[in-house]
Amino acid sequence: MTAASEVESSYERQDGDVVAGPARRRGPRGPLVAVPVIALLVAAPLVLGPYPVTTMTRILAFAVLVLSVDLLTGITGLPTLGQAAYFGVGGYTAVLTGLHVTSDAAVQVVAALAAGVIAAAATGWVAVRARGIVFLMLTLAIGESVHQVADTWKAVGGSNGLSGMPPISLFGGPPIIAAGFVYWWVLAVAIVVFAAVALVARSPYGRTLRGVRDNEARMRALGYRPTLARFGVFCLAGGVAGAGGALWVSQARFISPGDLGFEIAALALLSVVIGGRGSLWGPCLGAAVVLLVRDNLSAYVGGHGPLVLGCLFVAVVFLVPRGLAGLTAPTGVRRPAGPAGAHRRESAS
Amino acid sequence: MTALLELKDLTRSYGSLAAVDGVDLKVMPGERHALIGPNGAGKSTLFATVAGTLRATGGQVLFSGADVTSLPESERARRGMLRTYQHSSLFLGCSVLDNVALAVQRVHRVAHRFDRAAWRFRRAEAEANRHLDSVGLADRAGAKAAALSHGERRQLEVAMVLAAQPTLVMFDEPTAGMSAAETERFVELIQRLPGNLTLLIVEHDLDVVFRLADRVTVLHLGRVLASGPPERVQGDPQVQQAYLGTARTEDLFIEAGDR
Amino acid sequence: MDTYLVSVLNGLAMGSLLFAIALGLSLVFGMMDVLNLAHGAVYLSGAYVAVAVVGDGAGMAVFVLAVLVAAATGAILGGALAGLTRATPHHLDQALLTLGVALVIAELLAVGFGNDVHSVAAPAPVDGGVTVFGETYPVYRLLVIAFGMVLAVAVYFLVERSRLGSVIRATVADRVMVSALGINTGRVLVGVFAAGAALAAVGGVLAGPILGAQPGLDEKVLLLALVVVVIGGLGSVRGALLGAVLIGQVQALGTALLPEYASFMIFAAMAVVLVLRPSGLLPDRTAVHA
Repeated sequence: MTAASEVESSYERQDGDVVAGPARRRGPRGPLVAVPVIALLVAAPLVLGPYPVTTMTRILAFAVLVLSVDLLTGITGLPTLGQAAYFGVGGYTAVLTGLHVTSDAAVQVVAALAAGVIAAAATGWVAVRARGIVFLMLTLAIGESVHQVADTWKAVGGSNGLSGMPPISLFGGPPIIAAGFVYWWVLAVAIVVFAAVALVARSPYGRTLRGVRDNEARMRALGYRPTLARFGVFCLAGGVAGAGGALWVSQARFISPGDLGFEIAALALLSVVIGGRGSLWGPCLGAAVVLLVRDNLSAYVGGHGPLVLGCLFVAVVFLVPRGLAGLTAPTGVRRPAGPAGAHRRESAS
Repeated sequence: MTALLELKDLTRSYGSLAAVDGVDLKVMPGERHALIGPNGAGKSTLFATVAGTLRATGGQVLFSGADVTSLPESERARRGMLRTYQHSSLFLGCSVLDNVALAVQRVHRVAHRFDRAAWRFRRAEAEANRHLDSVGLADRAGAKAAALSHGERRQLEVAMVLAAQPTLVMFDEPTAGMSAAETERFVELIQRLPGNLTLLIVEHDLDVVFRLADRVTVLHLGRVLASGPPERVQGDPQVQQAYLGTARTEDLFIEAGDR
Repeated sequence: MDTYLVSVLNGLAMGSLLFAIALGLSLVFGMMDVLNLAHGAVYLSGAYVAVAVVGDGAGMAVFVLAVLVAAATGAILGGALAGLTRATPHHLDQALLTLGVALVIAELLAVGFGNDVHSVAAPAPVDGGVTVFGETYPVYRLLVIAFGMVLAVAVYFLVERSRLGSVIRATVADRVMVSALGINTGRVLVGVFAAGAALAAVGGVLAGPILGAQPGLDEKVLLLALVVVVIGGLGSVRGALLGAVLIGQVQALGTALLPEYASFMIFAAMAVVLVLRPSGLLPDRTAVHA
């Protein structure tokens, strides 16, 4: 296929974006949906048993990681398989903080966020100079490198990971052990992170990122430095993933190299694709679907979770190419002939 | 008066082939300067070398007296050299307003702010809307750029470039592929631009060139063949001789323009 | 001193295997921008073919049979992957498809062979050792080095000297232009995909007596191959060779000198190359702009 038709079809894909225009204020639909959803999420521990609540806590923490992938993949157009590394850095930071410094969950989240930003800033520069599938490959290599480091470095427990983290507490209060309370804390942080990512998406910087995604050459011709913009969002996404890691361990109170491996990174990317690139709520829903499939559905098929997930990857690409968010977005945007339309005269001077 | 844009012995070669071969050119402030020549004359290469998309292999590009030859494209744009593309280069996945706002927010130095939603930067948003209004696209602000027609995309690109507060705008074949009506509307749009804005236009359509330009440079085989007011260039025997043989200049230009 | 020479030999053996594995990954990437995340799984199926056919010991004929079966398996898997990825034009979707296939293959292998670590014996005539520089060294590894050299020369002649090779190189450099010339790149692409996967599977058999076969090995090998491709330069045959030899040496020396930090050294090498030469050491095209 020609480069031109490739370009055109990638725009077609983006018609499903929910955050197409930040200039548009939050439509009347926004709060109408958000308020009942948040109310339901808050009420969940009151009606559900501890097991489903812990599952939901894990989903929320994973959804924060997925948001960081969406920031890169959906909004900036950089497909990544390396975000689990910063998720893990945040998780390790939170566990180490809990073990050696304080059990205060707020401090742990802030420390994990900072560690995620620093780790992303330290490793990101080599990745953001690339784009597209090369970026995917470099982030995969970076992520796996961090994974190997965690797996072999004795100071962080090597392949055994770190366990024995004390239960979290909040603002000097007693240890929080009940699954419901941990869930509420994780939910609160996840909502704040969601709001922050939504703000970034609607801000001038979010517009800059979408500009980089759509047409980097044009950005340069307008006086932008796209590599710098990509580096900035890479650091931001690292921070978001780090915060997600802290939430992940606030319930598990344990972290091992498996939590920052290739599988987590791939599942996070799959969640974004399932949910719809560029939408924010879609990937969160995708996170829930992916984790539920991995942890619950696999029990019904004799423990062959990877088999189901593998089929899910293939099915998603063919069945819902625009993701869940794409299913609700208006279709049929009028598109004129491509930029290289045949009716136009070509000149080669 | 010093030239706004000055090319000194500018050369861009590919191996042994010099697509642009020692071009000297001066564009005065406020001038409407057209660059013409048959296919293969090196117009596009010269254009890209001036804009910074391609690096010069020899010579200098001076902008407002400063040597910008080694500066990257983004730095030239920050100094006020803005270009359009032969096929409109837009952000097709973004809204029409976003396309212009991207230019505005860079000039307003808010492009990397993420502490507030974009619409709350009211000065920048108002300016973006004003630029959209000035090219007649105000009612399409919320549409996706991908939904615009070819002519509308051209208008949007002009608004985007003007929103970046240029001192020199470089148009690369702006009317290529336009219908007669669209071309007419585009020429009127350019004629309405403020007089202190300097324009460098690469164009095939001689009718457009003679309506817009007050100075024309003819490029042939990478070199400047003639440069001067449109009437003089049109009648220049060297121009006719060099690549027309006995035919009249108009025939060549019509042929090149209508292809 | 002798231990260093032994480690250099070990590095060459590892480099030979990595070259066989990384070559397909690099060419497929260079020619069609497909990141084949199932490459490690294809390698692992080759390794399990060795487990099933060769097992704890067999003659040379059986070992060659295993190589042929693995090559066929790899070619079939590669062809299937090529067909699957050509169904969608989006590179991210293509990567996801190969990832899904990788998960399915790895899980099926785990179902078939269990989660145990399997070892593969070197074929009977060459399972002994010879004295090299005063130390006993396995003959089999010397044969692997020889295989690597033969493969490098063969691939050099195929890619640099044949008409097919010129199409391959031109496709890496400028795909659109090659199709515009009227050359059917589709068949070449599927062929390269299948051949690359076959080589990876053969690499799995040949690596059997050295690395064995176990779940999770696919990921490690995929990662090593990725590092080789990144270091060498995307789509470049010479780059894959250089990267494979380099990584083989780094890993062997690292294992000999600082066993605990061997894996760090590989990534340190990759980081150094990426910072200094973002497109790799011997790029065939510029994939990364500074």
